[in-house]
Amino acid sequence: MTLNLTEAEMEALERLCKQKDLSKTAVIRQALKLYQMVDVRLAQGDSLFFEDKEKKNKAELMVL
Amino acid sequence: MREESAVLIKERATGRLVEATLIDGITRVEVEEAEEQWRPVMAQRIEDLRARQAPRSKWPEHGHWDWRKKHAATQGLLAYRMLGLRSDGRMQGLMLVVTAGHACRIAEQKNKEMVYVDYVATAPWNSPSVVEEPQYGMVGRVLIAAAIQLSLDEGFKGRLGLHSLPQAEEFYRKQCAMTDLGADEKKQNLRYFEMTIAQAAEFLR
Repeated sequence: MTLNLTEAEMEALERLCKQKDLSKTAVIRQALKLYQMVDVRLAQGDSLFFEDKEKKNKAELMVL
Repeated sequence: MREESAVLIKERATGRLVEATLIDGITRVEVEEAEEQWRPVMAQRIEDLRARQAPRSKWPEHGHWDWRKKHAATQGLLAYRMLGLRSDGRMQGLMLVVTAGHACRIAEQKNKEMVYVDYVATAPWNSPSVVEEPQYGMVGRVLIAAAIQLSLDEGFKGRLGLHSLPQAEEFYRKQCAMTDLGADEKKQNLRYFEMTIAQAAEFLR
């Protein structure tokens, strides 16, 4: 398959490849695995939160 | 997805290497069969220890793990892989790994992706904490090698992490030569071990 990405998306992908020491394919596969896991857990009624330990803030991530 | 490959484990009584099949993607039926074979051996051991009033530190630490529940909870999720090691018509070991969402902690590979070993166990008849004369050796070693191979396949270059039960710490520290990063208060104070790319390469040599 061919994956068409905008310039900004390609930049984000390349940045992640560098940060994570992964190929583009590996980053896309990681993204798919995490997206599927989050989607299944949300469908089961779970919630996803980001927590700032210093400020003790907790924000729920809404995945549409 | 299911893949099978031939590996070798050691028959302890004779010291000879025997063939085993490493299965990536074991089925629910295989997990149920393993549980049915493992549970009575484990239950008998716990009964014996209870009768002898042995301290809890001597009890097998993973006796309560329910592999059926773990299989059901992760089936179909791309991030999870359950592997089994079969020989002599029985499952000799099981392992559940996660290939997404876990970041390395060692400075030289901090925040890089890795394979996290969620659960790994040898069959009770292979465990010195359960039987006096374990039947097969190298089961844990073969499963850790399989986890490293998964890490290589995923592009993580062998990076691996896990939290160890106290009875298994020596195995990860000495036999796997993983780095011990100490007790993790977020994970029941279990010690966290991590394998670098170099340690993984050395382990596979």
